[in-house]
Amino acid sequence: MTKNDNLLAEAGVKFFGQMSASATHEIKNTLSIINESSGLLHDLSMMAQKGHPLSLERIKDISQRMTRQVKKTDLVLQKLNRFSHSVDLAKEIVDIEKTVTFVLDLVSRLVEMQGAIVKVKPALSPMLVSTNLFYLENMIWRAIENACFVQEGEKKVMISFGTDPKAPSIWFLMDTTKDDIMDDLFGSEKDHALLAYLDVSIKKNKENNSFGLLLPKRI
Amino acid sequence: MSEKVLLVDDEIEFLEIMSERMTARGMEVTTAQSADQALAIIAKKSFDAIVMDFQMPGMDGMEALKTIKNKRPELQIILLTGYATVEKTVEAMKVGATDFLEKPADIEALSNKIKNAKTEKMLIVEKQTEEKIKDILQRYGG
Repeated sequence: MTKNDNLLAEAGVKFFGQMSASATHEIKNTLSIINESSGLLHDLSMMAQKGHPLSLERIKDISQRMTRQVKKTDLVLQKLNRFSHSVDLAKEIVDIEKTVTFVLDLVSRLVEMQGAIVKVKPALSPMLVSTNLFYLENMIWRAIENACFVQEGEKKVMISFGTDPKAPSIWFLMDTTKDDIMDDLFGSEKDHALLAYLDVSIKKNKENNSFGLLLPKRI
Repeated sequence: MSEKVLLVDDEIEFLEIMSERMTARGMEVTTAQSADQALAIIAKKSFDAIVMDFQMPGMDGMEALKTIKNKRPELQIILLTGYATVEKTVEAMKVGATDFLEKPADIEALSNKIKNAKTEKMLIVEKQTEEKIKDILQRYGG
């Protein structure tokens, strides 16, 4: 294995670990609410045994709460399952906008923890590339992380897409007044390995604090 | 006397159910949805224990723990967490967390920890008062 192969593998394992940890935290939170709801039902039944009136509305409310949390857990598991299948194929035809939207959904908790707001401007037309889906997702997450990390205070990122289907690109516009943030972007060896593997180049626009991931067409 | 507890978690549904269950066990519960909100409440009100989620958007549990302990060292903080790593647990205990509990938490275990925290807080306050009295007596030649 070359040094770049090792770096790429390290980046991939780190990414998979981060996503799994985040999803399992979300599940722990929903389980916790289900657990407390079940405990509350137990408390109410114990009180009813002692002669306190039992409100059917209250029971209905707790049951609905539990159903809501089960659905929430199911959504987390669905996205974790979809993400796990990203490694199935070495190369596949990928819709860039759909991939960005999925990654954003996957990392929503991590973004929220950073106190950041990330929005996506819909693409004018579908843009397809032939690439490794898992590493593309990794690259998009690194771009979001980079865009949030260089900002201070309220972190805002707007993601948009290039308009030329022959030259697909994803753009990250940062809402910041901080100077020289571009130098800090994608500085790690792992990022370089990811960019090289996906054949992606970065274009930095210092004038408006944005950067773009320029993807190869290759379909 | 009932234990005065501040419950801090960004999940509103968790706050609602937990506070109902804790209130049923005789505790006086105040809730906050963020560390910033908790800090504002602590500035105005006194508590026997603070039960706080470790991972919250904005200021996280560790940062909040440091800030609270810095301002009010007598306050007892029990951290709730989805997954506690050994490193984080050790760091939190070093900073001054009273205890750790993993989610989903057992309400009886939490209640016991809150009772212990109240006793611990009373001992600290007693000690602080004794020291203040000693200091006054020394200053005024008592």
